[in-house]
Amino acid sequence: MPSKEYDVIIVGGGITGAATARDCALRSLSTLLIERGDICDGASGRNHGLLHSGARYAVTDREGAEECIRENRILRRIASNCVEPTEGLFISLPEDGLDYQANFIKKCQEAGIDAQAMDPAEALRLEPAINPRIIGAVKVPDASVDPFRLVDAHILDAQRHGADIMKFTAVASLVKENGRVVGVKTAAGELIRGREVVLAAGIWTAGLAREAGVNIGMMPSKGALIIFGHRIANMVINRCRKPANADILVPGDVVSVLGTTSDKVPIDTCDDMRATPAEVDLLLREGEQLVPSLAKTRIIRAYAGVRPLVVADPAGDGRNVSRGIVLLDHEERDGVPGLITITGGKLTTARLMAEMATDLVCKKLGSTAVCKTAQLPLPGSEGRKPRFEDPFVERAAIGRHGTEVSRMDFEKGGEILCECEHVTRAEIAYAVENFGVRNISDLRRHTRIGMGTCQGSFCIRSVAAALAEILAPDAAAAAKLADEFVNQYRQERWKGITPVLWGDTLREAEYMQKVNGNEI
Amino acid sequence: MRFDAVIIGGGYAGCTAAEALLGAGLKVCVVSEGLSLAVSGSKAPYSRLASIQKRGATVLRGDRALSAILEDGRVACVKTRNLGPETMLEADFFILASGKFFSRGLLSDKEHIWEPVFGADVEYGTDRTSWYDDDFSASQPFMGFGVKTDSSARVFVGGKALANLYAAGDIVAKDCKQVNVNKLIEDYAGRDK
Repeated sequence: MPSKEYDVIIVGGGITGAATARDCALRSLSTLLIERGDICDGASGRNHGLLHSGARYAVTDREGAEECIRENRILRRIASNCVEPTEGLFISLPEDGLDYQANFIKKCQEAGIDAQAMDPAEALRLEPAINPRIIGAVKVPDASVDPFRLVDAHILDAQRHGADIMKFTAVASLVKENGRVVGVKTAAGELIRGREVVLAAGIWTAGLAREAGVNIGMMPSKGALIIFGHRIANMVINRCRKPANADILVPGDVVSVLGTTSDKVPIDTCDDMRATPAEVDLLLREGEQLVPSLAKTRIIRAYAGVRPLVVADPAGDGRNVSRGIVLLDHEERDGVPGLITITGGKLTTARLMAEMATDLVCKKLGSTAVCKTAQLPLPGSEGRKPRFEDPFVERAAIGRHGTEVSRMDFEKGGEILCECEHVTRAEIAYAVENFGVRNISDLRRHTRIGMGTCQGSFCIRSVAAALAEILAPDAAAAAKLADEFVNQYRQERWKGITPVLWGDTLREAEYMQKVNGNEI
Repeated sequence: MRFDAVIIGGGYAGCTAAEALLGAGLKVCVVSEGLSLAVSGSKAPYSRLASIQKRGATVLRGDRALSAILEDGRVACVKTRNLGPETMLEADFFILASGKFFSRGLLSDKEHIWEPVFGADVEYGTDRTSWYDDDFSASQPFMGFGVKTDSSARVFVGGKALANLYAAGDIVAKDCKQVNVNKLIEDYAGRDK
């Protein structure tokens, strides 16, 4: 029996793939998104959570800056529940001088970014934590964005417009017939046909393309970040100088994220990204220049992601690397019809990347459907947020899911399981139903369970039991599954704790060891 | 304030030592900040401390030993946060039972681990990457870090064991000696005669 043929198959469930699936579905294409793990498991879930204003790129990359500010305005509108309009400051220290700042403001304004010089005293009044030695400050429309929420919203909208989402399904190879890519073969050996295949798999794109005889020169660029257990500043704090290590501090929910580094790494390390103690030391040394109190603030964990940078000349030495959007029409470029790659870019510009990729898909398929993603609000951001009586439980859920809370049954599942983030049984049931959650790491990405102050120290057993109860066929299987979840959760969190294992974090680690019953 | 013995830490190790010493009729003081990990349940250590107090010990609850004065290779006295810098807790011998990191018996920064009251010598890896195992459920090196003691469980400071400072419980480095309180009692009784 021939399997169903899709108009378009999108490989990769990060923000780029999710946004492309949404755009394709909104243009009435029959769409499949296929992802080897959980959605948002790669670079889309391992970044600053920064909605760029474009200011950071204004001096060196006018086009990138203009893209950012346009998309920044669109996302504030269509993804209001994912964006916190914090605004941002670019601060100058004496060693940075003020020449850069003058040019920076000029370039921002040329790119259409509202950059306003601010009196250092006023900046310190707004954000007392920043380095008091500042000699200048510029206010820009940066914002904080929750990347997990943003990807989820795109996935939900794609699904609700008819797209199929296939998670935990690795693509083993692209299938070619007579030189044309006609679909994908899964690791389980299933052939799925698609009239166009779009690669949106971040750094993993190059490997997939190579299988089909297409060479894309990609350079994995590792970025390490640290999460602090407090919201030290309310605005995004940037350093007003040539972009360098650890010069951005982004507030998000109740934490602050400091980053990042930028180092070329071997491709085979990308499946197990972790921040190292040396990277943490470097981030702290630099970050303390931005905000001195970072030296004394509790660190929750450190993590790292990989930027999928594209080398213009595959034979080059890596200097000619684009951080901009790269759309490759492999029919034109390599004589391989049926295959398109969308990569590079940023979280901020993912919607635009999706629009560009979908425009090309439509052109190939002879569709004249127009893009509507810049106008239609995403699920969770549709209109006014509902109001509930309970001041804590539902308010936390509304914060995370916006208008989606109307799909949660708090009457039946109002019991709080994760105290730090106020996650209820109802929210867990919602995540399982809407995102096909299979394990506790998935659940964390879709609900923030265990991402709060205690990092799951107190709640993880009851959360694991609640999830296992939904997923397992009987009580005995549930008990076994819950144990697996706890071990999996601890192991995964441990990866981010070890690079920052001193001071209060070491105190907590001893506690975790005792609670977990590990013996010395 | 003068005692036969001052015990720093009111967790499992400190309480056990205190009970034995009280049984032998010694005048005991326990400094307990109340951050014990070793006794399950938050109320257990409090009720145990209450019975120790009833048996005549002085229990400084919610207090923390801050510093010590060392003289001629011995601990002369200990000062606490609540008693202030003027009051000296003096004793014939001292038992360090302040636990590891959680209870702040040991403090740490990116490069160092130290014992804050006596400046005792701490055994730990010089490189932070050697403090942990990547596998969470494996035996963790940091759980074995602690103060160095000699064959009589006397604590080393600056490479020399102090004559009247012993260590007990989690703060003692793995493979180092834990105090033998019965032996201490014997020695103490012998010296009286």
